Amino acid sequence: MQLPRRLGWIPGGIALALLIWFTFSQWGANRPIGASTGIAYMGAWFFGLTDTQYFQQITKSGSWEVIFLIGVLMGGAFTSLFITKTFKFRIIPPLWRKHKNNSPLSRLLWSFIGGFLVVFGARLAGGCTSGHFLSGATQTAVSGLIFGGVAIVVLILTGRLFYKNL
Amino acid sequence: MNFNLIDFFSTTIDLVQKQDHGSIPLILTIGFLFGLIIQWSRVDTFDKIAGFAMLKGFKVPKMLFLSIGIASIGLFFMIKMGWAHYHIKPIMLGGLILGGIIFAIGMAILGLCPGTGPVAVSEGNIDVLTGLIGGIIAGALFTYLYPDLKEIMGPDYGKLTLTQLFGEHADWFIFLYGLAMVAIAFLLPNREIEEEVGEV
Repeated sequence: MQLPRRLGWIPGGIALALLIWFTFSQWGANRPIGASTGIAYMGAWFFGLTDTQYFQQITKSGSWEVIFLIGVLMGGAFTSLFITKTFKFRIIPPLWRKHKNNSPLSRLLWSFIGGFLVVFGARLAGGCTSGHFLSGATQTAVSGLIFGGVAIVVLILTGRLFYKNL
Repeated sequence: MNFNLIDFFSTTIDLVQKQDHGSIPLILTIGFLFGLIIQWSRVDTFDKIAGFAMLKGFKVPKMLFLSIGIASIGLFFMIKMGWAHYHIKPIMLGGLILGGIIFAIGMAILGLCPGTGPVAVSEGNIDVLTGLIGGIIAGALFTYLYPDLKEIMGPDYGKLTLTQLFGEHADWFIFLYGLAMVAIAFLLPNREIEEEVGEV
């Protein structure tokens, strides 16, 4: 049997909904999917900040999400190697080349800044796309819907201002 | 600084085993399936996520809204049956708005977020790896500054869901809510970014 090389947004969306149900259920993890707490947990640990008030608050969620993210890395690597066959070392995404520049150094520097802002912002808000939007909006949580609304508007505004030749 | 990875993993695994949120193999499986779905749909790429910020392709929001629509209706009834619970984050208004703005600026530039980023790293994107390092440093800085940042993250309006607001009409509301999310998914333009041959 030949597996399709890509999942469209409909099968992809349905599969993601099934995974959310399983994760929330008592047979799964009895908690939502989340990612950014895990990254903050790693940062706090590597920089020796485990005695802080914040680390104590996030040890439970953070440690769970670290294990989750290790699974994510394995799933992504497996799929890119064997199903979509897209595994490749690369630095500049095609769309960056088209709408920003052709410099690997610039892309690496902006990625660092972008990644920094993503996690700092997610921790201020208390969640990211996974925790606030995917899991939050699924629960009709007002916090997740506010976050999603703000994030979509600012995402599109930044896209307008940061990139060129649109 | 503490880069003792053996210590890191043994402590982390120990912390997870003390919780009632699934065994290590189960959590790894949930993560594996998440990575599989995201990578297989190819929504873990700069082109798909920053492409949405540039309004060039809509696969990411279509997939997100569809899964929220389906999952919200099912989860509501799973909770009614006692099979699951809500886990609601509080409305910390200052943090949500300021954090949402900073997060989205970063997401448009990096082209990924904390859940999809690791998938992009796993398929070989070196730029996203530097983004992940930036994120880890941001997490450390946030932890360090938290006592001061706490002040601007409030006021806390508590944990509120829309189904709560609709009380006894919640059953009807959740159907309308779920259908509206699915409708948004279908109404968003079908435009998608063609993947360039050189990239894959």
